[in-house]
Amino acid sequence: MAQITNIVRLSFRDYSHEWRMSSCFILALASVLAPMMILFGLKFGIVSTMVNELVENPVNREIRPIGSGRYNDAWIDALRNRQDVEFIVPKTRALAATIQLKSDRAKRILSTELLATAAGDPLLAGLSSVPQDYHQVILSHSAANKLNVKTGDRIDASLSRQFRGKRERVHLQLNVIDTAAASVTTRNVAFVNLELLIASELFKDGRAVQALGWHGNSDDSIERVFPSFRLYARSIHDVERLVADLEKEGARIKANVSEITTVKSIDQNLSVIYWVIACVGALGFAFSLGASLWANVDRKRKELSVLRLVGFKSGRIVMFPVLQSCYTALLGWLVAVLVYLAFEYLINFFLAPRLNLDRALCFLLTEHFLWALVLTLVIAIFAAIVGGIRAARIEPSDGLRDL
Amino acid sequence: MSVVYSLKNVVKERLIDGVGFRLVVPKIQISAQENIALIGHSGCGKSTLLDMLALILRPDQGDEFNLHPMDGDSYDIAGIWQRDKQGKLSQIRKQHVGYVMQSGGLLPYLTVRENIELPRKLLKLPDDDSIISISRVLGIERQLDKLPGLLSAGERQRAAFARALSHRPSILIADEPTSALDPISAQKIMAVVMEVIRGLKITLITASHDWAHVYKMELRTLKQEAKAVEDGKIYQSRFSD
Repeated sequence: MAQITNIVRLSFRDYSHEWRMSSCFILALASVLAPMMILFGLKFGIVSTMVNELVENPVNREIRPIGSGRYNDAWIDALRNRQDVEFIVPKTRALAATIQLKSDRAKRILSTELLATAAGDPLLAGLSSVPQDYHQVILSHSAANKLNVKTGDRIDASLSRQFRGKRERVHLQLNVIDTAAASVTTRNVAFVNLELLIASELFKDGRAVQALGWHGNSDDSIERVFPSFRLYARSIHDVERLVADLEKEGARIKANVSEITTVKSIDQNLSVIYWVIACVGALGFAFSLGASLWANVDRKRKELSVLRLVGFKSGRIVMFPVLQSCYTALLGWLVAVLVYLAFEYLINFFLAPRLNLDRALCFLLTEHFLWALVLTLVIAIFAAIVGGIRAARIEPSDGLRDL
Repeated sequence: MSVVYSLKNVVKERLIDGVGFRLVVPKIQISAQENIALIGHSGCGKSTLLDMLALILRPDQGDEFNLHPMDGDSYDIAGIWQRDKQGKLSQIRKQHVGYVMQSGGLLPYLTVRENIELPRKLLKLPDDDSIISISRVLGIERQLDKLPGLLSAGERQRAAFARALSHRPSILIADEPTSALDPISAQKIMAVVMEVIRGLKITLITASHDWAHVYKMELRTLKQEAKAVEDGKIYQSRFSD
């Protein structure tokens, strides 16, 4: 134990005594590590910004049918149960999915698009509640603004139709339970429970809605089919397969497949380029660090021999260069991190706005810094152990006669 | 007096393609508190023999290489080298041997005091006034807090002696410790050292220059002869009692 304590003390004393040489080793390490970190920061920043934008924006995961189809409940349920589907909700005909909204605080009556929603709707992610019955609504930002209402307000909704030659209008009280974020849509939209959307279509078709007391024809034998749906894949990586499967079933589909493919291929290509550069860089880094630490051990042969002469064991002698390499690795890494952070700031401050990016162009996660440290330490310790064992194997008398 | 070193037919070779140098020790016995001087021209193997005696150089052959640093302790050094027990050799060295190199061999990053303290720290000896007293005797008391680089050559050698003696070893080995000094300084330092080792009852083995003649009454000189052997390919040097 006394030997270990003494070796730690002596290796540090020597390291700080030779601060000029130690600084050179630290700078040499940092000058190889820092550019690698910047390169990785850029690769990670650019690609993950693009991927995140695609992943986080549900629009990119939306799969839209083109034109009208005939989709029944069973078909929609089957799709809902797929692992790669995050959310699906049917849509009725566009003309039947329009409702007039009026509030006490706004003069105009707002013609608003009705969209069915349910728990897990990516468009309404982050909102605490979803419409549970006929009388609850979440308004889009634009609709809420135009009606001048906020959460908790009540609004009047009305639907009209021509029925048996007469114009009819029904009214319904809706509670505004929340407002969607402005980024969700710029349109006037009322997110409602699917039942209300269906009721609206039934009413427009001249049929009765018992639950709301709306009279009309009643024919329960007609199977309910929807012309369209709102579907979101679980991730951008699922979009391509889902589109292919749906097209196989004859559906005409539109999705951001080409954009997703572009980002994925950019990611792959950048990754390949990065890893080629990183591997060459890491190899160079390992060799330059290894060589300089090896050289350092050789330079220290005489002093290491003196330590053996005064009675340090060989194993403890190996610790001397290993510890010094750890100091170099730690401090070199620290300098590299500081250089990287300075460049990260400069790149994000000057370059990102030019490219109209909201997000950082260059960034690394804490674990990336830690990985860089681990890699540096492993290389440093390995190189020092190889050199140190060599030094410890030399008979002390040979080392003493070196100079 | 008990025998400290007992060597019989010990050989060390430094050959490249059968050409080079061979040191042969047919028989040497060194008693406790004896003062031995190895005198000979440059290249005759003085340092090689000293390094073997200091347990930092492996002999190639040896019928006998025993060390009895003090009563009760006895080590078969040839056997320890054969079994490559480096840790054991370190232990013996640390405890019983003090070594002074030609160039001092002080660690440049430690102060003189820390250099002198180092062998004591390794042996976990208590911090007493022994550092101060040995420094005072050797005349480097005022240099204790300086780095070796700031000392004169003479002061560095005095500090090297202080380090070699600080843990009270029973054997002091010095390899031409005053070769870098002028004759007057060399004699001054050696006068002090001889006084110290007499006081501490230490066995001294040293390779020497002119000053040895001054102390020839107190130093036993080993017989040394050298000749070319094996068709002149090997320069063979012998040290014996």
